[in-house]
Amino acid sequence: MTATKPELGTWVGKGIDRVDGPHKVTGTAPYASDVTLPGMLHAVVVTSTVAAGTITKIDTSALLTLPGVRAVFTHENFPRLNHSPDVLFGEAPTTPMQDNRITFHGQEVALVVADTVQEATEAARLIEVTYAAETPLLDPADGRLETLPLSPDTSRGDTEAGWAAADVRVGATYRTPENTNNPLGLMGCVAAWDGDHLEIHDTTQGTIALRKTLAVMFGVPESGVRVRVPYLGGGFGAGLNQWPYKLLAAGAARELGRPVKVMLTRPQMFRLVGHRPDTEQQVRLGAARDGTLTMIEHRATSLSSIDFLAVGLITSGTPHLYTCPNVATVERTVRLNRRYPTSMRAPGEAEGNWAVETAMDELAHELGMDPLELRLRNFATAVDPADGKPWSSNAVVECCKVGAELFGWSRRDPRPSSMREGDLLIGWGMAAAGFFAYLPMSQARVTVYADGTAAVRSAATDLGTGTYTVITQLAADLLGLHPQQVDFQLGDSDLPASAQSGGSGLASSVSNAVIDAVAHLQGALLDLAGPDSPLHGQRPEDVMCRDGALCRRDDPSVRVPIADLLAGQNLVEASGDGRVRPPDPEAAAMAQAGAYGARFVEVAIDPMIGRLRVRRVVSVTDGGRILNQKLARSQIIGATVGGIGQALFEDTLTDPGTGRVANGTFGDYLVAVNADVPDVEVVFVGEPDRYTPAGTKGIGEIGLVGVAAAIGNAVHHATGRRLRDLPITIDQLMM
Amino acid sequence: MRAFVYDRPTAVGEAVAAVAADPQAAFLAGGTTQLDLMKDGVWTPDRLVDITRLPLRGILVESQQLKVGALTTMEQLAAEPVVAQRLAFVREALLHGASVQLRNMATIGGNLLQRTRCRYFRDPSVSACNRRSPDSGCAAVDNVARMHAVLGVDERCIALHASDVAVPLIAVEASVLVDGPSGQRRIPLTEFWVRADEGPSIENVLGHGDLITEIDIPLLPAGWRSGYLKVRDRASYEFALTSAAVALQMDGDMIADIRIALGGVGSVPWRAREAEDMLRGTHVDPVRFEQAGRATMASAFTVPGTAFKVDLAVRTLSRQLLTMTEAPR
Repeated sequence: MTATKPELGTWVGKGIDRVDGPHKVTGTAPYASDVTLPGMLHAVVVTSTVAAGTITKIDTSALLTLPGVRAVFTHENFPRLNHSPDVLFGEAPTTPMQDNRITFHGQEVALVVADTVQEATEAARLIEVTYAAETPLLDPADGRLETLPLSPDTSRGDTEAGWAAADVRVGATYRTPENTNNPLGLMGCVAAWDGDHLEIHDTTQGTIALRKTLAVMFGVPESGVRVRVPYLGGGFGAGLNQWPYKLLAAGAARELGRPVKVMLTRPQMFRLVGHRPDTEQQVRLGAARDGTLTMIEHRATSLSSIDFLAVGLITSGTPHLYTCPNVATVERTVRLNRRYPTSMRAPGEAEGNWAVETAMDELAHELGMDPLELRLRNFATAVDPADGKPWSSNAVVECCKVGAELFGWSRRDPRPSSMREGDLLIGWGMAAAGFFAYLPMSQARVTVYADGTAAVRSAATDLGTGTYTVITQLAADLLGLHPQQVDFQLGDSDLPASAQSGGSGLASSVSNAVIDAVAHLQGALLDLAGPDSPLHGQRPEDVMCRDGALCRRDDPSVRVPIADLLAGQNLVEASGDGRVRPPDPEAAAMAQAGAYGARFVEVAIDPMIGRLRVRRVVSVTDGGRILNQKLARSQIIGATVGGIGQALFEDTLTDPGTGRVANGTFGDYLVAVNADVPDVEVVFVGEPDRYTPAGTKGIGEIGLVGVAAAIGNAVHHATGRRLRDLPITIDQLMM
Repeated sequence: MRAFVYDRPTAVGEAVAAVAADPQAAFLAGGTTQLDLMKDGVWTPDRLVDITRLPLRGILVESQQLKVGALTTMEQLAAEPVVAQRLAFVREALLHGASVQLRNMATIGGNLLQRTRCRYFRDPSVSACNRRSPDSGCAAVDNVARMHAVLGVDERCIALHASDVAVPLIAVEASVLVDGPSGQRRIPLTEFWVRADEGPSIENVLGHGDLITEIDIPLLPAGWRSGYLKVRDRASYEFALTSAAVALQMDGDMIADIRIALGGVGSVPWRAREAEDMLRGTHVDPVRFEQAGRATMASAFTVPGTAFKVDLAVRTLSRQLLTMTEAPR
């Protein structure tokens, strides 16, 4: 069925309140941590205190005599699991407790199960593990490290020729540190078996990928595994992988025949559910005197764990943002005895943008050109320079121009340290941003009932970003109903399969599936219309649902109540199933565009004591169709806070000798707090994207991209000091 | 679970006797440090004597000093109008500390006794910590140090005393009243703490069973000004990288008298007497301010992660001196 472009706008776009808000603010939204089942036991993960080597002895016998302790699992008695399947983002990081090998400090070595979490915690503290420790690989410069390609090298033109032809050249090395995702909601699960049926309440961002992993690894039918996650306390990517704790809980629950709950502690969140890996990047840019780029070279190396590789994507945006004939990207990773990396909000893009957009600022400075002007001269606005196809949408120029106007960029004195207020140095910086297009597969079912209400069902998750709300709005428009008449049910793998919330792709994915489902629903309802019906003989694309009736698009007064259609066939409900459709031929000829953005930042620096405050942020985003102005704005503000954290604070440190996380608590690992975040002006520009019927592009991550570079560029403008290693801290800013 | 006895006496003598009688007992007040340490498994008392029912709450304003009950919370002391009028830097230090939720729990007596934030001290999986286990070594010196001390430390321990309010309190020479097994005594704060380089495992001069009951804070004389500058990575809810508490009396553009203490740099709240001596009776002179700071920091012991603190502390003091010596606007 060809998806017709839907008419959206009665509810879509409106900044309505979250439909799940009342549940959250009254404490009635059930999170995984709230789940309690009859007979449930509590388990605590015990982690290694060496980074490399083998376990030679774990003495658990004494623990079993402690009050409340029911079992202690180690590699000696934990069930052997099947090899993990390759689901989204690859295999499970590793299968826990299958042998005595240790590959990082903080690795799962035992699971203590007790009647209460306090009893399990105390027993976990007393466990004695003996290791044959080996010298861990912890130094990224160690020549013994195994280096692997992370994504395919890309190249167009001849970068050396472009370098030689350039009038002005810049080249430098940039570094970004490990950042830890740290959703406020601690991750964990409750696993319960009934024969070969497993039900798990978890904090995953993707119910279907976890279902498949559990089914394969435990050797049970996928039909019998149910993953439930109606609410999530955030994730920022930490919920994308099939982490060992889930396998430990499920394995222990199966062995003991009782439900088992595992909740990680905050320090364990720094070790067991991934992080944004450290990167070192080299960027070279060449330009003609008029600012036209003649070459871009972007090389990146990230740090991986021994068993599980980093996500990459660091250079993924580089070939696409600017029209430049000569572009090369190279991306590598090295294996260290470090904890598992994963995706963290704007994975790769956040790190790669830091390097390239800082380098662009350096180039502008060398050229004596306004950094905004340099970008406007080089944006690839019409076609994707990587393949020459026309973009499905691209408003990056509008992002820059609108942002510059709102910010007052034209009043910027380009000379470093030229803008002052008393003792303070004022800096204005900007950066452009792009984000890759990503449209994963989802399915959805839309059901209408005789009472005029409707339900939408899809196994999606809502990180707290607003999935419940935006899909409700979309369905309300498609069905001609009020949002209160639409119930969007998600967070359950028994619902029609959905993609994960990740890659900024979920809203687009589910939206397009729902559009397809409504088209099928309309067809199904039309099939119910008998020969006497005024709708008899209409084609599916000529009818639509409005106010509980099926009616003609060209004449809505020709209508039949859905209740009558159902009653005529002795039905109580009718459904349409939908999925993300392959692009139509027109869309397929385009380059599918992701989101774009421009960030403008003012910083004030007290050069005597190195104190930096971000004073203003203007953040303009082209996200295609915006489904809910209020929630979209919240997304961008939240991402801006993350960007400020990336720029100024976040830095997961590792003890150089032992590989231990050195600052794995909220007291020691700094994230931005309210006082660090100024008012953020958020604007959306652009048009609905032409690639899909929904016209959305995904805005979960783009808001973070470019914030750090804009801040760093503002620091250079304020001080004349070019800082290339994040985070930017006081010790680098004392003048 | 590790069981412990929990007592909640209502009289000071009872509380002191309960702790004195049991070598594994300890007092518990607001708990903002101790409960963390217990959860982390760093501190494992067998008996907790909760002192929050003792009549040690409240502030008595006298003409020359404040008598502050040890259980007075940080927020209560900050809200006292006389503190704003006569001890501005005490108020500023209080309000720059912790978060309002913590300040409503944390007591002044407990604040003075807070344990170091050193992550190596607070992680029992780290074996090398001379503060926790004498003669075990110091993991912080060889690993990641930033929130650590550079004064009153050596290679055996670089633990920081992270209190903000203790910094102005040592500048005004507050003292504590202590009830203990051998009776009552007064200890000036200048003699209260023990530097890490004088013994990493001993933090102060209190003996087992000694209980701080009152903090006496002299009011600054009329004509004095004071202020507290705290420098930290983020704008709120973080301990100081460096801080400077300055109180002074100006005579024209001459510094007639001055008190200085530094935070974020010492294993104990750091009174900068040499800086005071260099500045007392001198004219306002930024070069001299910096020299006074350099003299204070001359004995610093640094590791790579803390080396920047020497310069930052000098600058923090200079900035605060410049602010304090400006003619009132």
